[in-house]
Amino acid sequence: MWRRSASFILDKRNDTGARPDFVSLSPPQTTASTMADTLQNPNAKVSAYYQTRAAHHGVVTSDWLAQAQAAVGKYSPESDVRSSSSAAADPGSGKPFSVIDEFNNWRKQPDLAEAVAAIRALAAVIRSSEATTMMELEIELKKASDSLKSWDTTSISLTAGCDLFMRYVTRTSALEYEDFNSAKSRLIERAEKFGEISYKARRIIAMLSQDFIFDGCTILVHGFSRVVLEVLKTAAQNKKLFRVLCTEGRPDRTGLRLSNELAKLDVPVKLLIDSAVAYSMDEIDMVFVGADGVVESGGIINMMGTYQIALVAHSMNKPVYVAAESYKFARLYPLDQKDMAPALRPIDFGVPIPSKVEVETSARDYTPPQYLTLLFTDLGVLTPSVVSDELIQLYL
Amino acid sequence: MHRAVYKVGLQYLAGDITGGNARCIAMLQAFSEAIRDYTTPAEKTLTRDLTAKIGSYVSFLIECRPLSISMGNAIRFLKNRIAKLPLTLSESEAKTSLCLDIDRFINEKIILADRVIVRHASTKIRDGDVLLTYGSSCVVEMLLSHALELGKKFHVVIVDSRPKLEGQSLLRRLVANGLNCTYTHLNAVSYIMHEVTRVFLGASSILSNGTVYSRVGTAAVAMVANAFSVPVLICCEAYKFHERVQLDSICFNELGDPQAVAKVSGRGDVNYLGSLGNKDNLQLLNLMYDATPSEYISMIVTDYGMIPPTSVPVIVREYCRDQLWI
Repeated sequence: MWRRSASFILDKRNDTGARPDFVSLSPPQTTASTMADTLQNPNAKVSAYYQTRAAHHGVVTSDWLAQAQAAVGKYSPESDVRSSSSAAADPGSGKPFSVIDEFNNWRKQPDLAEAVAAIRALAAVIRSSEATTMMELEIELKKASDSLKSWDTTSISLTAGCDLFMRYVTRTSALEYEDFNSAKSRLIERAEKFGEISYKARRIIAMLSQDFIFDGCTILVHGFSRVVLEVLKTAAQNKKLFRVLCTEGRPDRTGLRLSNELAKLDVPVKLLIDSAVAYSMDEIDMVFVGADGVVESGGIINMMGTYQIALVAHSMNKPVYVAAESYKFARLYPLDQKDMAPALRPIDFGVPIPSKVEVETSARDYTPPQYLTLLFTDLGVLTPSVVSDELIQLYL
Repeated sequence: MHRAVYKVGLQYLAGDITGGNARCIAMLQAFSEAIRDYTTPAEKTLTRDLTAKIGSYVSFLIECRPLSISMGNAIRFLKNRIAKLPLTLSESEAKTSLCLDIDRFINEKIILADRVIVRHASTKIRDGDVLLTYGSSCVVEMLLSHALELGKKFHVVIVDSRPKLEGQSLLRRLVANGLNCTYTHLNAVSYIMHEVTRVFLGASSILSNGTVYSRVGTAAVAMVANAFSVPVLICCEAYKFHERVQLDSICFNELGDPQAVAKVSGRGDVNYLGSLGNKDNLQLLNLMYDATPSEYISMIVTDYGMIPPTSVPVIVREYCRDQLWI
């Protein structure tokens, strides 16, 4: 089930005493109509990927949750996520081992990227497989990865992560000469190595990007990205002096979470509403964004609003840096914004929207490569055109 | 001179065989036939003598019409195969091996490649699209008929230009297939472009800086499409890629019949430049190809998938190395 934010629960209970101090960021008068809107918006086709992101990165932070739980007592969004995911896992639960269950277990860790969870789950498939030939094992693995991919078709990193795992793990010439058991253990070894590489990717990116953050710079970030947070955290730990402008990141307001995290690190933060980007662009030295997926052209698919920020930055000659792990490289090639599988999510406008009015509910947009300066990946600092080079080498 | 090569050369000269793929396939088949009839003269080795023979065939074909880059690639492939023949093979074995290589090249690099390209490119056609194409490219034609078979609903704009008017034959075939078409000349391209959603173009060759070398007029179409932010997709087989870099259309091109620009075919009376016929200070220029810069191109669809124009050197480096192809 889709839920908005903890402030909604709090306001419903009129429990102002337990309200965390940053609730004031959301105007209280909107919340009453919010409720009506949530009721009005039955989630017809909501992207599971963005739902998870919202659950993990939205304003629902763990400390907020604790407070909200204390306030509400019985209502825990954590259990809500769990119930929705177990409901989705139903088709696979008949079998003794289900890759979806495994995936969902991993996925519950808020710090673990979805693709890494999928990679871990696929490694578990190999481990628990009862296949006796390489062929069987490969077919089993293929089935598992297909079921993972079809579980959420809107997640680019999930699909790309599964594909890359299959490539990385099964494409080893050593398999042809060994007997089955040692080949299988080799596969497990490779799978674990790949899982490890993917897990460490974020650290590598954070290290690589340090050269680009100079003292006294102002960085604009959009939405909440764990990689970008890691980059900024490392920069703060390295005693760099910089200022961050966070966009609000409507509709799930992920920017508030990022500003909250940065404030904890004593980094000077300023919050902007999403439409204030062009207004603030002249005081910005660089734009830093994450990515949901990096496509073959070298462009990125990311949270709605990234494209317009990149356009504004481009027209004002500011560099746009993208931090993205290489498991997000996908063999997709959108030609324009509408040339993608739609990922929808409900948007709350604060007031009831008449049924005649159409609402654009797409959760992401595509930023073409000509508006990006560099991509920080675990493969190194790349220009957008190298992405396709890497993809060709990986897939052909 | 072998009769098959002679025949193909004359067909090139007369313009009976046109289009990169058709010319390449005809040439390779003629070579294959010539190799089958070939016997090594006494006191000569097959490897050296056959290479020389192919060389003389090629220079004859150049006499008839300059080679396209794709044909150059195919010839280099064949010569490479001949040079790499193991010395232990008998003459007949060597000949069968070469003929098989040629067949494989035609099959894998042209026919199958086209099918893969069509499959990839058709995913980019949506219902309600208006597709624009220029001139007549056989891959684009296959793509349009495939998309029609898939039941997609789209409209095609065929842009054509004098003097060859190659689009007319394409138009005839598409209309016979039941496609909705609009036919117009290059002059009207800026008018028609604002209702177009995708531009599909063929190419004679793609150079390693992403420049597309194609029928003259393609650059203008791509530029207008770019100005209207309409995505331009180039459908081109990977065997047409070349490691050369070219910045303009003049330094390497093919000259057509200069009179073709002055006259209208079938209308002897329409020759407005007739009186200027032999003036020294008049030059009639009929270029056959032009170079489209890579910034006008959104995507290149090849047998290796859909790639951005910046990735052409990657394909050239990884797959076209030493002309090994297969």
